[in-house]
Amino acid sequence: MGEQGTGRRIALLSNVNMNAVIRTLQKDAEVYEAEGYGNELGILMNPASSYHVFASEITFLVIDLMELLEHELDEESAKVRVEDWFAGFENAMTPDGIYYISDVYLWGLEAETADALVSRTRLEGIWESELRELCRHHANVRILPYHHMVACLGEENAFSPKMWYMGRILLSGEAGKRLAALILQKVILESRTPKKVLALDLDNTLWGGLAGEHEHTPIVLSEEHTGLAYKNLQRVILQMQRQGVLLVIISKNNAEDAEKILQGHPHMVLRAEHFAAKRINWNAKNENLEEIAKELNLGLDSFVFWDDNPQERLLVQETLPMVTVPEFPDKPEELASAMTKIYGEYFQKAVLTAEDLDKTKQYADNEARGRLQRSVGSFEDYLEKLQIVITRVDAAEHLNRLADMLNKTNQFNLTTRRHDLSEVQSMVQDRGKRVFLYRVEDCFGDNGVVAAAIVDVTGEIPVIEEFVMSCRVMGKNIEQGIVSDVEESLRQEGFGRVRGIYISTAKNKPVADLYRQLGYREVAGQADFGAMGKVYEISLDKVPTRGFQGVIR
Amino acid sequence: MANIELQEKIIALIEENLKLPAGTITPDTQIADVEEWGSLEHVMIIGELEQRLGVSIPLDDAFELTSMEELLEKAGCL
Repeated sequence: MGEQGTGRRIALLSNVNMNAVIRTLQKDAEVYEAEGYGNELGILMNPASSYHVFASEITFLVIDLMELLEHELDEESAKVRVEDWFAGFENAMTPDGIYYISDVYLWGLEAETADALVSRTRLEGIWESELRELCRHHANVRILPYHHMVACLGEENAFSPKMWYMGRILLSGEAGKRLAALILQKVILESRTPKKVLALDLDNTLWGGLAGEHEHTPIVLSEEHTGLAYKNLQRVILQMQRQGVLLVIISKNNAEDAEKILQGHPHMVLRAEHFAAKRINWNAKNENLEEIAKELNLGLDSFVFWDDNPQERLLVQETLPMVTVPEFPDKPEELASAMTKIYGEYFQKAVLTAEDLDKTKQYADNEARGRLQRSVGSFEDYLEKLQIVITRVDAAEHLNRLADMLNKTNQFNLTTRRHDLSEVQSMVQDRGKRVFLYRVEDCFGDNGVVAAAIVDVTGEIPVIEEFVMSCRVMGKNIEQGIVSDVEESLRQEGFGRVRGIYISTAKNKPVADLYRQLGYREVAGQADFGAMGKVYEISLDKVPTRGFQGVIR
Repeated sequence: MANIELQEKIIALIEENLKLPAGTITPDTQIADVEEWGSLEHVMIIGELEQRLGVSIPLDDAFELTSMEELLEKAGCL
């Protein structure tokens, strides 16, 4: 296995000959050796097939649409065939695997004729809309951007009629290599923890030149030449921000000069509201980074620091080795592509959740919440003004988010037991579990789905096995409201008592005393939660009044 | 392109595809003697010769090849 060998077991199934691609992949991963091709659904459906014996964790299905349609290009019959395929797939898939299904590129010589060209995108669209629909219903199904790969390479380079006639090998050598690279990239994405924060310098990073020197030389940021290179860099960064990357500024400038540009420069793509935090001052950058990490409640190991000045990069590398410090390109025309590389290498996620798409606003809203806290008198007044609304949501509709929270929350996590997506899915379906998932809103906006509790109800006394909450809503008594809601729901089911578990880790000290504060008392520890585990219990007849202010619905 | 130059390129492409060290394949090589040269590799080689070097070996002949000599002849080198 290669250096990037992920240790994952993968399979590539297709309706055309993919043996060459499989062979390329075998250098870097454990790959299932398909028996022939064209029976991809049969292999999936048959529990006794060698595919199931192999136990693939990530299965890639690359489908040639022309073969699937058997050259019948009218839309009606295409629809029937495509729907049949997806019905068959849905029937055969299991919740414990991850599946990547390709979008399609309709290729065949008759598709070149003018009439067929018109309907080609529509035929591909039939597949695509079925595929998107499937992904909506199954959190473990994703799209493999095969069409884009072919388009980048060009049809004439991607497909080889001769190899097709000789051995039903559709993809040329080069296309096969690219497909293998695309598959490996997805395997790596499924395995690594993405970074969260991009810390940016301003002068000669987001724009050319120095802010505050405008009387002599204006900054370089425009619609042409080098100025456009900086503007395009900002466009890439804005797109990253929209996909959940938190942006922060760490820059040595007069704050006033920099703010003037952030707010008023006509060619700035990034504006003040796109940044979750800012440190525009003359302090050492490592100190600023540490402050921001504290402010955002995030570990420095989730930071990427980007600065044109090699001395600043060295300082951060030396003083904060957990921060990722990528190289900075020499030429402005390479800025935007350097940033897309950084995105792919450190930030890209296998799936984006709705919470990712709104992250900066949630953090920026938090800053406004903090200002409110300072402007009102008591903590109780503050909570009242916040007008918190907690809404219980259907866990089955937020499986990715639930898995995300269980696996990434460190501080407000009572047990820190990690569960992969398939385990999460089966817990949600398990009749012996109650999965509580909550959205939290207040007068400043929607915090998204930020808290979850999983209760095991198979024993005489139900046990809160998991309880996690995002750090950005901590400190507002929200956990009290949630526990009361869970208790009430269990009481209505007829239970008289409930138990909670706390397993101590290096990072979850903030909740070490949570159950006691909620009125629970410690009972004799149970061996199965280990030496660090403690068990607490409360009688549901005597639940105390708690300090949560707001509405639960 | 001089024939000898094309011949060298063809041999280099085949060695690359089969992941063999340079010099392994010669104009006298018999395909059956090269362990790495299976049927899948054969298709890949014929496809790559066409796409990368513009050398088109007729489909019917492609299956019949048994030696480098025949391959080079069909490729127009000999």
